[in-house]
Amino acid sequence: MDAREEYVLRIAQRQRRGRGLSDAAYAELLLAVRHDPERFAGAPQDESMALLGRALDRYAASVGADESRDDEEYLRARQVRLSTLQEACAAILRQDPSCVDARLCALIARDLDPDDLLWQLKGLERDALPSLETADGGRGADPWSDVLCRPALRVKAAICRTYLESARYDRARKSALELLRLSPLDCLGARHTAALACARLEDEPGFEALVARFGGRGDAWQGLARLILLFKLARPAAARRALAGYDRLCEGGVFALLRPVYVEPYMPDRPATAPYGFDEATLAVHEADAIIVDVPDLVSWVESVPGMTESAAAFARRSGFEF
Amino acid sequence: MAFDPHREDYQRMALRFVRTLDGQEADDALRAFARFGRLYNQESDLLPQSDEERSFHLMADAAHLIDYELPFADDADAEGIVSRAHTLLEEALSLDPANADARRMRQAALIVGFEPFYAFLLEGQEQVRLQCEERRERALCEGNHERSSFGAFLALAPYLRWLASLASKALICGHNHAAVDACERLLALDPSDAADARFTQALALAKLEDATGLDELERRVGAMDLDRPRRPQDAWLQLSRCALAYKQDDLARARSWLHGVCEGYPQARATLYLQKELPDGVFARLALPPLSEDELIVAVSEATVLLQEGRDRRGRGSFGAWVMDEVAKELSPRERRELDEFRDAQAQDGRDEGGSAPSKERGA
Repeated sequence: MDAREEYVLRIAQRQRRGRGLSDAAYAELLLAVRHDPERFAGAPQDESMALLGRALDRYAASVGADESRDDEEYLRARQVRLSTLQEACAAILRQDPSCVDARLCALIARDLDPDDLLWQLKGLERDALPSLETADGGRGADPWSDVLCRPALRVKAAICRTYLESARYDRARKSALELLRLSPLDCLGARHTAALACARLEDEPGFEALVARFGGRGDAWQGLARLILLFKLARPAAARRALAGYDRLCEGGVFALLRPVYVEPYMPDRPATAPYGFDEATLAVHEADAIIVDVPDLVSWVESVPGMTESAAAFARRSGFEF
Repeated sequence: MAFDPHREDYQRMALRFVRTLDGQEADDALRAFARFGRLYNQESDLLPQSDEERSFHLMADAAHLIDYELPFADDADAEGIVSRAHTLLEEALSLDPANADARRMRQAALIVGFEPFYAFLLEGQEQVRLQCEERRERALCEGNHERSSFGAFLALAPYLRWLASLASKALICGHNHAAVDACERLLALDPSDAADARFTQALALAKLEDATGLDELERRVGAMDLDRPRRPQDAWLQLSRCALAYKQDDLARARSWLHGVCEGYPQARATLYLQKELPDGVFARLALPPLSEDELIVAVSEATVLLQEGRDRRGRGSFGAWVMDEVAKELSPRERRELDEFRDAQAQDGRDEGGSAPSKERGA
């Protein structure tokens, strides 16, 4: 979530509504707001977004410093940043109880088990839904284009991912497909959750329909989901081809699969990563973790396929990782 | 009806023995058969007549050692038991290289990893089918209808066990459609479901979150002629139903299925709280009294694939953690404490899994 950009968009959108601006005038206004948002800000909702942006920056800075911490320091720093973020969200909500994003971040920062998180997210979804019904941008426009709808979409995407985390794969698939119908732009990557759920449920037609829908435009999730799906369907030759494709397209993809790492909770949505880059593969493997573990010999099979261990080792050498 | 190695060993020899009694007076035949029964109990090693019978008999002894004695043995005795069982299996195979049970059991010990053993079962299934069908054809030509059809069933039993093993390994390996398919083949071959394939099938359907498939299975089970009470239903079906309701977010229904298990089985809450994972029987699923505490222990162990899936901060899997919390509500603080101590003691022995707390180390 780019809170600063949404802060700007919120201000510009409110100004536009207030003044009834044309598209061209809005474009100019947007430039002006981006240059100096504080000059235009006025509503408490604007202020909440600015505060949340700063709180999320602090959170991200603490995560970024983890590399230099030992285990004990890391656990302490993690606890501190989660409670600091919760306090910041609580402060925002005292001023602006309608701030869905602050509620969402506060919930995720509680570090709950997926079941508890799910029930809380559903409550939040009920409160956030009305914003989608009054979406700006006219009939047929993707609700993502209305910045005020984005918090509700983020809650829905978090629900999809939490269904997946709590091993409710049919729910994950269904809710992700619903979110895709609602917001076909899919800036929150519901298609990734759907792809992984289809793989786990051995739903080949569902997976292929999803791939076709995005015109074959692939990513690490799709590549990983295809290889898991074909392995589960006991089609080793096709699974090997899928693995080769994943290895070719995803920078460090096999390394990410063979050496999975713990990934901090998404705050509040999936971080932006370069397409087919190593960070994308790391996130895909992290989200697929429970599905990979459910196929106990998948990883050893990957290691046994000629060239795969070498590919992971070569990536590790290039990138300065141990392997 | 599960497969009991010694019972089947006895049945095979008794069937052959009965054939030798044809033409005798009824009283003499009865007395002779009673003598045979006593001899089986006292000196069963003397009874086998053919290499095939001797081979099955040795394999049955090995199966008993591994499946029924090893789990209760001290560490000091375990090695001896395993080595005795392997000697028996080697001997069984030297007498009858086509002994499918012995081949399967030997490979189970030799092959490392789930997938390679599954591949072995997959590769060997056609050969075993042909062998068993050939023996079945031979059995069908012998004796009256009742005896020949029982003989035919016994001839096919190793193939049924091979397929049942294939189905349960498919489930463990995450090939859930393949597990369902293997169970379908078993049910088509043997509608009385001696292999209890429906148990594995229920778990696989729950893994696929296939509610329609589970409804259909329940309907078919209702129409089967089974050697166990109809109600309460078996734990596999109930746990699969419970998992599916949980996955569908219908916690009230999930609770009601869990309640059904607790009502139907003795000591169910303790078993569901501990969720012990045991090694599968190498001969077949252990033959245990229906609706017994031990049967539930085995069912819960097989349901590990459902219980341990998904994230839970205690490292138990999301459904497993929910089940544990639900049954804990019905346990007294003292019962909980005792069960926790029991679990901790087992974890100390290194037989349990650890938690999944976050760690920043690569490879966590």
